[in-house]
Amino acid sequence: MGGPGLLWHNPERRLAAPGWQQLPSFGDGLDSPMDSAQNGIKIKVRNLHFYYGKEAALHDISLDVATSMVTAFIGPSGCGKSTLLRTFNRMYELYPDQRAEGEVWLDDRNVLLPGEDLYRLRSRIGMVFQKPTPFPMSIHENVAFGIRLYERMPKAELDDRVEEALRQVALWDEVSGKLHQSGMSLSGGQQQRLCMARAVALKPEVLLLDEPASALDPISTLKIEELIYELKQNYTIVIVTHNMQQAARVSDYTAFMYLGRVVEFGDTNKIFTNPSMKQTEDYITGRYG
Amino acid sequence: MTLKPFRMVLLLATSLIPLALAAIFVFLVRYSWPAIHFNGFGFLARHTWSLGNLYANPTVKHGQQVPIGADYGILVFIVGTLSTSTVALAIAIPVSLGVAVFLAEGLSARLRPLFSFIVELLAAVPSVVYGLWGYSVLTPIIAHDIGPAVRDSVGRVIPFFGGSIGSGYGLLAASLVLALMVVPIIAATVRDGLARVPAETKEAAYALGATHFEVVRRAMLPMVRSNIIGACILGLGRALGETMAVLMVSGGALNYLPNNIYSPVTTMASFIVSQLDSALQDPTGMAVRSLAEIALILFIIAVLTNVLARFLTGSRNVPTI
Repeated sequence: MGGPGLLWHNPERRLAAPGWQQLPSFGDGLDSPMDSAQNGIKIKVRNLHFYYGKEAALHDISLDVATSMVTAFIGPSGCGKSTLLRTFNRMYELYPDQRAEGEVWLDDRNVLLPGEDLYRLRSRIGMVFQKPTPFPMSIHENVAFGIRLYERMPKAELDDRVEEALRQVALWDEVSGKLHQSGMSLSGGQQQRLCMARAVALKPEVLLLDEPASALDPISTLKIEELIYELKQNYTIVIVTHNMQQAARVSDYTAFMYLGRVVEFGDTNKIFTNPSMKQTEDYITGRYG
Repeated sequence: MTLKPFRMVLLLATSLIPLALAAIFVFLVRYSWPAIHFNGFGFLARHTWSLGNLYANPTVKHGQQVPIGADYGILVFIVGTLSTSTVALAIAIPVSLGVAVFLAEGLSARLRPLFSFIVELLAAVPSVVYGLWGYSVLTPIIAHDIGPAVRDSVGRVIPFFGGSIGSGYGLLAASLVLALMVVPIIAATVRDGLARVPAETKEAAYALGATHFEVVRRAMLPMVRSNIIGACILGLGRALGETMAVLMVSGGALNYLPNNIYSPVTTMASFIVSQLDSALQDPTGMAVRSLAEIALILFIIAVLTNVLARFLTGSRNVPTI
């Protein structure tokens, strides 16, 4: 197989897309992060450009997200890490002046194609946001919200699904006695875990976490990080964070982004201990950001 | 404490509002006191309103001088007020919610201000203009088109919508005119609430795969629930108190309870206006004081609906009537 040492699902697809091989970290294929990926690749990004109106926010991004691993996007504010994340479930579609060009493959589907069923896509890719966003309804209803969008089921079964989701995010013991209280009554950290329960209740394949702990206190942050570690058994996780220690703690792979480009993408250990690029090193060591 | 004079001024200004409210209440009670005394609780339950013989010498009843044969009962007007307001809200609430959702979510950002402005303009149209429109346009349509159509469809199932249609003046005409006046109030208030729903909440619902409709219906509307209740109470306040437009299309029922949706009605507010001139002919003054008692009851109903609204929303941020 030619080209960089990547695990391609469709070898007949363009292997050496323009711009792809120019990415420094993938230049020789040896330090391609996916060499160590044993489970395969869940999301492939190829030559992705993103525009806010006429302004380009992402330039020719190509990278792979490994199945059942945690991939972190780090970089200074405005570098495009959240923008990149939001192309995976096409959240940008909500805003008419935002536009993505290129390819984002979820398994064998290019989700950027116009015919993509967004509702199905978003049932496969769950998302948790920076600010906890419980809906103004009970804890039970919050978790059931997403399930109800897709499935009709008897109450007992729905209750089981809700409990299962709450257990997955380690919230069940804290809320089992007050499922019918408002989700807004929980603490910030609990609210965020409720939002994660709401996302996992749909049994998605991928979880996108957009700075999930940046509005939380250290203890709640720690809980979220432990949770990420637990959840990666079952989900492919992509996390955006501006907290480098967090990326180092929770992720298997890290992409360092700067000014809309992926500067370096690789094994988290390597990025944090022995980065190939000067820019990465400067950022990691706190010279800017 | 350099702020003290400033605080005093603020306190004074703020206390003017409850003071004014209290003053109105005290005035109404004092002014209508002879009528309250004369009419008793039967005032609310009787449905005849008769000024009596204004040209004979008055008699004395319950210690009050009143014209012979005078009998004041306002059940008809209470029923008229509550029924027109209820039917008006039943029509206006779904329409307003639709308008509010359309204004907040269904328009491009460029067109939104223009359409919102137009809807708010509707709230600024003087009620007499709505009344004149109702009188010249709406009542003939009800008599010839809407009335027969409703009677022959819904009216076959629900008797209240069947029966005699009459001239078009009545409960339905008054309710439609009121609904038209109330829709912009409710729609603008709910629209403001919807516009304040955080983008994060909407995105969170979209991220679960909700459609636009599901986001509005299941995430946004529950979020503005107290706005909706508050807006409806605001609209109800407008409907309860509306005078002129209702007077022009309600058919002016006297001593007559509505038996279907086309029946002529009279509301408390419009009755006060239409009867003031006759009541002033009463040398004992009891008729005018009875009209003031109607005003007092209207005032109490308005306050009660507001209290109910606060109770329902569990919030202190409900707009007052």
